[in-house]
Amino acid sequence: MGPAADASSRTLHAEADLAAEQDALGENAETTRPKSAMRDTAKARKLPIDRKAAILQMSAALLWLPQAGLLAIAVGQIVAGNALRSIFWLSIAVVAIGILRALFDAAGTRRAFIAARHVVSERREQAIAALSLRSPLDIGRPASGLAASVLAEQAEAVLPYLARFRPIRLKATLVPVAILLCVLPISWVAAFVLLISAPLIPLFMALIGWRAKAASEKQLVEMGSMNAFLLDRLRGLATLRSFEAVEMTAQRLRANAESLRVRTMAVLRIAFLSSAVLELFAALGVAMVAVYVGFHLLGHLDFGAWGKRLSLAEGLFILLLAPAFFEPLRELASVWHDRAAGEAALAALVDLANADGTILGAEAAGRVLQRSREKATDVRIDELSFRHAGSASFVFENTNLHVRPGERVALLGPSGSGKSTLLALIAGLASFEDGSIQIDGEPLGQTTAAALRRQMIWIGQRPHIFAGSISDNISLGRQAVGSAAVDAALQFAKLQHVANARGDAQIGEGGSGLSGGEILRLALARAAVDPHGRLIIADEPTAHLDFATANDITERLLRLSAGKTLIVATHDPILASRFDRIITMSQDVNSREAA
Amino acid sequence: MMTLLRTLRPVVALFYVERRGMLMAGALLAAVTVLAGIALLGLSGWFITATAIAGLSSAAAIAFDVFAPAAAIRFLALSRTAARYGERLATHDATLGVLAGLRERLFRSWSQPRLARDLQRRPAKLLFRLTADIDALDSLYLRVLVPLAVALSTVLAVTVALGLMHPLLGLGAGFWLLATGLGIPLAAARLSQAPSRRRAHALETLRSRTIDLVAGQTDLVMVGQLAAQQKAVTAADRRLAQSDDAMNRIETIVNAGFGASSAILLGGTLFAVAALANAGAISGPVAALGLLIAFAALEPFAGLRRGAVELGRTLLAARRIGPSLTPAAPLAPVNPAKDELAVQLVKVTVRHERAPLPSLHDLSLSVAQGERVALIGSSGAGKSTVLGLITGELAVQEGRAEARPATLLTQRTELFQDTLRDNLRLAAPTAGDAQLLGSIAQAGLADLVAALPAGLDTMLGEGGHGLSGGQARRLALARLLLRDTPLWLLDEPTEGLDGETARDVLRRLARLMHGRTVIIATHIRREAAIANRLVILEHGRIVAAHSRGTQDFDTALAALRPD
Repeated sequence: MGPAADASSRTLHAEADLAAEQDALGENAETTRPKSAMRDTAKARKLPIDRKAAILQMSAALLWLPQAGLLAIAVGQIVAGNALRSIFWLSIAVVAIGILRALFDAAGTRRAFIAARHVVSERREQAIAALSLRSPLDIGRPASGLAASVLAEQAEAVLPYLARFRPIRLKATLVPVAILLCVLPISWVAAFVLLISAPLIPLFMALIGWRAKAASEKQLVEMGSMNAFLLDRLRGLATLRSFEAVEMTAQRLRANAESLRVRTMAVLRIAFLSSAVLELFAALGVAMVAVYVGFHLLGHLDFGAWGKRLSLAEGLFILLLAPAFFEPLRELASVWHDRAAGEAALAALVDLANADGTILGAEAAGRVLQRSREKATDVRIDELSFRHAGSASFVFENTNLHVRPGERVALLGPSGSGKSTLLALIAGLASFEDGSIQIDGEPLGQTTAAALRRQMIWIGQRPHIFAGSISDNISLGRQAVGSAAVDAALQFAKLQHVANARGDAQIGEGGSGLSGGEILRLALARAAVDPHGRLIIADEPTAHLDFATANDITERLLRLSAGKTLIVATHDPILASRFDRIITMSQDVNSREAA
Repeated sequence: MMTLLRTLRPVVALFYVERRGMLMAGALLAAVTVLAGIALLGLSGWFITATAIAGLSSAAAIAFDVFAPAAAIRFLALSRTAARYGERLATHDATLGVLAGLRERLFRSWSQPRLARDLQRRPAKLLFRLTADIDALDSLYLRVLVPLAVALSTVLAVTVALGLMHPLLGLGAGFWLLATGLGIPLAAARLSQAPSRRRAHALETLRSRTIDLVAGQTDLVMVGQLAAQQKAVTAADRRLAQSDDAMNRIETIVNAGFGASSAILLGGTLFAVAALANAGAISGPVAALGLLIAFAALEPFAGLRRGAVELGRTLLAARRIGPSLTPAAPLAPVNPAKDELAVQLVKVTVRHERAPLPSLHDLSLSVAQGERVALIGSSGAGKSTVLGLITGELAVQEGRAEARPATLLTQRTELFQDTLRDNLRLAAPTAGDAQLLGSIAQAGLADLVAALPAGLDTMLGEGGHGLSGGQARRLALARLLLRDTPLWLLDEPTEGLDGETARDVLRRLARLMHGRTVIIATHIRREAAIANRLVILEHGRIVAAHSRGTQDFDTALAALRPD
């Protein structure tokens, strides 16, 4: 980061002084987080704050000083019985400054928002990019649901943290100081009153809030668990209905929520004391200033104004500044929880991208390989070694395998024997430790993988069903695939009647409403529309199908592989017997004797 | 405006029924807080001005009663604090109470078959939407109703206070507050309806595209579409950013509008009180009082800002959830089967909403008591529809359906985040521990439960998390045993289990189903093998039925998926 970032981090150090004790509270939570998250929190702190936005918002707050001055002068003139004319101009000036304040504040808020929203988009984009390259063999790769909730909902918390909390924290540091400096030359007593009540606020908040805060955060989690309870029961509705337990569960839900309410209120009674203290000191600060100034003006308290007697205008000016002195602190208290949520979200976004391995070759990169299109693919694996990240034992050690062009090969073995891993390695879905994989003599690597994948066709064990219609799910957005090709593929995969019955309707989540066989046929149709494919890789395509369907799928797979190379992983010996060659995984491949 | 009220009515009605007292108290205390704050500033201004005038002559200074106003100022400061504290307690208590009621009602209404079926089709999307909707409704009270009550009482108080100085001043200020303080948020609510709706949709799109990117990564990368999907996710975020931006712009304008409105009110009041003082209608201190009231008058309206900008989202939620807050009609009970039959379906046709083809077509099926029938067919063939007819979840549209009381073992093991005991007692609310442990033993889980330190009090995670697939299935079996119905419906009872576990579960099932009628929906051989009649369904029709002992029975069985 450049010098600008350094400067802003220095400002942030200044801010930190004010919130020192709250930081102390926050640290508890941070130490429980994993190390990487702590590093990221530190990184999050260095996020630049838009300085122009901060200056604009600060100026808006400080413009109250001249406005209050004019009001105080005007009241002085009213009491003195001055002509209306001069007060008219004062009124105009009050309005003008007020509108200027509003405009400054608006401009500052917008700037802060735009900068913050930009950061959100940037962080999301980084997470998306990193996430999409994480290898499917990376065990720590988050489930899609988790990734979606971090990227969509949780990331939303970054916006108020950056756009609201940080500018307000800066304001809460500097504006009270500025006001204090304005009051001090007029009356040191009034300044003293403000000075005393201000630090008392965080002090008391900390004292009272210390234990209550932790407890109330726990309660917030429990409130969240209320939703979880509802969702958990909704997911099991069929069972609840079958057991006629709907009524009972509804009552349980209500009773839980009620007891949660009682417990929460017990905690909140204490937790809210801290905000009451803030209110109390803000209100008492104003009251004490007013009473002091009043008594002083009467001559009862003849000190505090540097040996002079305050004028009415000066007294009123001090009174008008008193609430403005506390306002930023109150604002800060009201957005306090934005911080923890925002920092947690930033850390979670970084965690999404913490890959233990990536797929080979991003799409855009890599050179274009020139080769004749007709020829089937040749696959040669030499001395391949691979183990999962963090694992000591090898899945493959110095493994060799050669699949000749046009050959149809079955990898046979029980689950866990590494069939799927080998297929993933051939497809470049993970990097390997040692050895080489050559596709048509071209070594598979970062620069070549994307181009080499263009000639591969993948049929997974459990193809993902995307949000969209059947034909969307076949074309998958590929430019080269027109509707005629989709129709032909539907025909080929015997999926026409399903497509006709559903039309353009969306398929249910995860293919709900489609049978296992239909999902596999969909994958077959996806494969059939690929014009460049010369190597078909299929991972247990018929594992969960009945005999008739499995036979049919296998038949079509063999037909599709005409003029292409085919590698199929399976644990079914009968299926395997229909291929040109059977390679038994545990024996042939791992003992380095594969053909 | 009228549609707005109509949309919000069921929700507000629910609030009203649930915690009327607390809701009112919360709004009232919020108003007291704000009014005490205004009064504190006004009185302070009056006090300072009055003392300044009195201080000019020492006689007047001595005669001036300082203690009453000073005490009043302290009193207002303290009562403001107390009211604020009380307000926060009352509003939170009310919100939590409403939250309880809202969730209970929602649960009841979602348990209706039609909604429940939608939920099964898109659980992730609908549950996400439901959570977001509930959150949006939760904020209706705190962000809209309370600030509105506060704003209205401020208008009233300011009108009266300034009106005592001069009626026109009071009316003018009151009108200005109403026009800008409520007019601006109302306009903002109108303007932000479209962006806040767009925002909700964009967030859902971002979610579902992210799910597609992560879950469909391999499929995408292998067809060279990973980058395209990445772009699609980014595009969803861009749309989200656009609506965020639109809403922020509106919110900023509202804020600036309030600022300008406040400045104009302040300047106008200044000139008005100066003119009144000049004419001798009011004294200097009263002029200061009026000015400070005007200064504090617009602050309470700021509370409406967030609520106004998010009103579109709240309305969307109210539109989606509102109708389901009214209790649904109970299901019509299934007609009891007669004679020796457990189930009798006669020429039944069932057509699901929006489906082009009927799910069941002129289907007739009789199952005698004590019989074991396997319904065979791929998903979509109509197996689940038949089970739904028997449990009474689906209404018969044509034909006749009769059945004895049945219990369904769902295809997916449905366990809940709760203790083992309460998971089991769903089936038998009055069962004692001995009975529960008995059924656990029969299901083959005695060792596991005995090894748990908390025993039956062990908490299960969400969806039964913490148990293996086989353990979860056995627990579901134990729960089934606790329910003494003459008819069991088993929907693919061992789907997703490995062969050995599956066979053990089936062995236990076969032993325990003695004396009951059992219908198994399946496409796996090992499950169908415990039946003595196979009924084969295709596209909503029965295409064949074979009894045990015939050649066809064995052939049909052999064609099924082995494991």
